[in-house]
Amino acid sequence: MLRRLVLVREDQVYPDFKVCHALRAASFCYPNWDAGLASSLLKDYRVRAGKAIKGLSRGQRSALGITIGLAARAEVTLFDEPYAGLDAVARQVFYDRLLADFAAFPRTVLLSTHLIDEAAALFENVVVIDRGRVVLDAAADGLRGMVTTVSGPVLAVDSFTAGRPVWERRGLGSQASVVIVGQVSGDDRERARSLGLDLTPLSLQQLVVRASGRSAGADSLTERTWA
Amino acid sequence: MINVARYHLVQPVLFVTLPLAILAFLFAVNAARGGDTWRDGLAVIFLYFFIMGVQRAGGRWLPFGLALGATRRSFYAGTALLGVSMSLVYGLVIAGLQAIERATGGWGLSITFFRVPYLLNGPWYATWLTSFVGLSALFVYGMWYGIVNRRWGMLGLLAFVAVQVPAGIAVAFARTWSGVGGPHPSLSVLGLTGVLAALTVVILAGGHATIRRATV
Repeated sequence: MLRRLVLVREDQVYPDFKVCHALRAASFCYPNWDAGLASSLLKDYRVRAGKAIKGLSRGQRSALGITIGLAARAEVTLFDEPYAGLDAVARQVFYDRLLADFAAFPRTVLLSTHLIDEAAALFENVVVIDRGRVVLDAAADGLRGMVTTVSGPVLAVDSFTAGRPVWERRGLGSQASVVIVGQVSGDDRERARSLGLDLTPLSLQQLVVRASGRSAGADSLTERTWA
Repeated sequence: MINVARYHLVQPVLFVTLPLAILAFLFAVNAARGGDTWRDGLAVIFLYFFIMGVQRAGGRWLPFGLALGATRRSFYAGTALLGVSMSLVYGLVIAGLQAIERATGGWGLSITFFRVPYLLNGPWYATWLTSFVGLSALFVYGMWYGIVNRRWGMLGLLAFVAVQVPAGIAVAFARTWSGVGGPHPSLSVLGLTGVLAALTVVILAGGHATIRRATV
């Protein structure tokens, strides 16, 4: 089982050897190893194979980890915050290559990250852990459009949200902003427009922030998403 | 397990080139000094295997090995397998060079380097067996030190040394090596080799039990 697993972690420790040694070691640990993919990834990240790993920058070391993780084509790939020291462009390269390779060779990839919205498009399933507690566990598709912020005049907001599960309510004078759970139908949108209300779906990141803050709401959300 | 052994060999210089270079250097020094003055040079290769064991099991090889999908157990087994295999090869190298040394009358210069009184002084197969077992024992013994250090740090190492009886295998080996009073007058070299082999098995089991919860 473990032979088919590759773990890429932020602070991976390597023996005192060169990039090419790490790749060669990985190549005979994984039967599906793709040497072409590995060398093209290293080229994208401008990491030379002949370089000593301890002489790499933080970002280059992350790039090496990502390269091994993707080229291994292991049945289970664990990316634990794999991109320390990588800039936005390099991270995008990672997302693109991950998606492309995943599409060509479907397998299980577990990615842990703090950059939620950036990686949101990649996920099929989302699990949010807060201080060791699972506060959210749902299919990503189910989460999209599942939670919406309704804002506008207090009376209109109250009438629109009546009978809906409410996560959070904020008032500011005559204006109110309420977070509701549940799909918003086309009729609902029509009604909101006529009431002069703004409907904004919550991004995954905002959702996570709220889920971590209030576990009761998250529980009801989880039930709904799985239903 | 085989993959772990291959993983260690990804940089063969440390297993092939360096120990042979050290051996050649010590031999040269010994020859330059007249051949019979410093006969313990060969002991360095045994020390090298000990250090190698410490480094392979306690150094940075374990964390990356685990990243590549090895388990602690398979890493341990593969590393030990490699050490034992290398011991088999180096034992043969020592036995071969000893045979040449004997046949050429000490390389034509009366040099005694690959012949060690009492310990490595019998027929070639006895030399092979004894050096194989000795190298293996020191390698896995070194591995255990490396694992103890990884798991409990310096304090653990001190405790580990403290609990071992003073007549530990390293000491016994060193004592018999220098010929100063063997372990027991009636114990033959092959008998000693047997004792060492039994100790190696005990050490292997101990190291295996220790690595199970080692953190990376």
